[in-house]
Amino acid sequence: MARILCAHFEHLGLLAAWRRHPELRNEPVIVGSGPLLQLPVVAASAAARAVGVCAGMPLRQAQQLCPRAVILDLDVEAVAELRAAALDGLCAVVPSVEMGDELAYADLGGCHAQHPGEAAWAAAAARALTRGLGEAPAVGVAGSRFTAWMAARVSSPRHVRRVRPGEEAAFLAPLPTGLLPVDAAVVARLGALGLDCLGAVAALSPADLGRQFGGDAGLAVHRYARGEDEAPVTPATAPRTLVERLVIEGGGADRELLSRCAQRACAVLGGRLRERGLAAGRVGLVLEGEGGPPLAAGTRVPPAPAGSAAELWAAVLGLLGALEPGAPVAGLRLEVDELATASGRQVELWRRGDAERDAVAHAVARLQDRFGAATVVRPRLTVDPGDLPERRFAWELVIPAPQAARP
Amino acid sequence: MSEAGTDVLSGWWMREDMSPQLSRAALEDVVGRLQRRHGHAAVRFGGDPMPAEVWSTGVPVLDGVLPGGLPCGRIAVLAGARGRATGRLTLLQALAARASRSMEVAYLDLAGTLDPGFLADLGADLGACYVVRPPGGRLGPGLAMARTLVAAGVPWLAVALGGGAGRERGWEHALSALVGAVEARGAVACVSAPSPPPAALAYASSLTVACAPLDWQLAHGDVIGLRVRLRVVKSKLGGVDNEGALLLRYPRPQAPAEVVGLPAVVEEPLAPAAAAVAPVATVTLPEPAALPATG
Repeated sequence: MARILCAHFEHLGLLAAWRRHPELRNEPVIVGSGPLLQLPVVAASAAARAVGVCAGMPLRQAQQLCPRAVILDLDVEAVAELRAAALDGLCAVVPSVEMGDELAYADLGGCHAQHPGEAAWAAAAARALTRGLGEAPAVGVAGSRFTAWMAARVSSPRHVRRVRPGEEAAFLAPLPTGLLPVDAAVVARLGALGLDCLGAVAALSPADLGRQFGGDAGLAVHRYARGEDEAPVTPATAPRTLVERLVIEGGGADRELLSRCAQRACAVLGGRLRERGLAAGRVGLVLEGEGGPPLAAGTRVPPAPAGSAAELWAAVLGLLGALEPGAPVAGLRLEVDELATASGRQVELWRRGDAERDAVAHAVARLQDRFGAATVVRPRLTVDPGDLPERRFAWELVIPAPQAARP
Repeated sequence: MSEAGTDVLSGWWMREDMSPQLSRAALEDVVGRLQRRHGHAAVRFGGDPMPAEVWSTGVPVLDGVLPGGLPCGRIAVLAGARGRATGRLTLLQALAARASRSMEVAYLDLAGTLDPGFLADLGADLGACYVVRPPGGRLGPGLAMARTLVAAGVPWLAVALGGGAGRERGWEHALSALVGAVEARGAVACVSAPSPPPAALAYASSLTVACAPLDWQLAHGDVIGLRVRLRVVKSKLGGVDNEGALLLRYPRPQAPAEVVGLPAVVEEPLAPAAAAVAPVATVTLPEPAALPATG
């Protein structure tokens, strides 16, 4: 059963502007300046919105509507920092997170060990987001993305509005059709037909709506109105890197010693990844000298995202074999980044050996590390075969070759 | 074996006044009870064939010659005379192509003769094929790589040995490890080897099938296939000396793989010369020009 959390907050550009100018918190503020005011409004504070300013409006028009508004440039770097902080906080509580400028979605399907119950989990996510943004969001939780968004809209800051499973249609029924995320012409036509609330739309059959708006649009309107849209949370890649650094007392260049240290770092990082339900898309290993500068370093992309100590170790083993430290190593640093939600893979039940496909991919990576990238290949038919028999196919590497070690 | 089973067996054994017929009946009774309790593989008579899971080749005649198909968890060898077109390599590729449609296949190309286009013409799903080409085409590293893949979970392994297979040193250990991995994972392993196969391979195989050419299949003066006689020369699963004949028919020249489709299996009437050996089945095979010099 899908459960989606939606958090609604002020635009990140506005929050960044408030951080820089806290004295403007209760003043009308418009974000989105540019040379000669030719760029549209990116965000507006509540005081500016109250007089009709909205995002996307030409700045000159917004200035005419609200002459006493303060117009500020969009600070792109500050927005990026704010987004990263919010995403970092939310990812620590919920593994699958989608972050927008005014909205954040999180997948609350399943259970969380530290937050038993959906309400506690949602509250923890809201608190984490508040810490990252410095502003309390309005939070809604429901069985679908659109319903969760509606719940967040009718909720208020510092509150979580939950829609129980199966009650989505009843919750949406009194809401106006103007909130539907569909084409404006469709909304206008719904109004012309006298369908002014979502409950009235939900009472119609998909076939009737399909005849009015076309098959796909009619079905989409019907699903939105009944709270049955199936749009998933598209997780953002957390812009984080997990690092484990081990200091080697007295230094050493012995392979066995480095191998043991790397294995220990893998165990620690693997445990942290597993704890957070994450998997790494890239693994890096740095061998440090006495003063700290890297003696050797390398990165590789594992064949499948590594989310456990064993999977990390398979990738690190290949890196260790490729690195040649020229002097005693005083420290070993293992980094994993491109973190994403560790999700399962659908196994084809009737295809023998499909369950072991990831293990085979790791084995192929090990073989390529040891014997060379071209030793395990997969044939592929070429689109334009040509006349010669040998041009009918091409060899492609099963696993991309690791990046060359850099000094 | 449980204590109760041991008691029954030793109790019977100590009675010396039983006739041989009664002894045999009592022994069968005891063995039957042990098999019911511990499974059929726990106790068996020496003459019984080893029960084994098999992978059906999809060619009824070939399954008839083999003990129901290629055995899982064991090494099967297709052996053919060195330097002659015996069909062993093309038969191996046809079997690998069929397997790739339902599972991942690793093809250890030590002979260096694999043509993926030909494999595709046989109906192979190339996306399910891993082609392993060890450095220098050496047998030892190649078998070690195959062992790694099988241990990781590849369920079907094809090994094409070249003419000089077995001359290098130290590959027997890798073969032994491969046999262990194949047995542990229950994988199908089929090796195409020149005849006679290297001693270690001949010893390790549970099933050895000798391939001998009968004649070329001609149509309008063109070679469209090769008729091959198969004979089981070694089998730990029963059926030694089983014989059969196969017609390995080539796919149409220059035909795109997606049009050629799957190899057809056609039962043909027995030719007078081949009537003494077996019925004939047909497997679509390559054009004459692409026929390898050996295999």
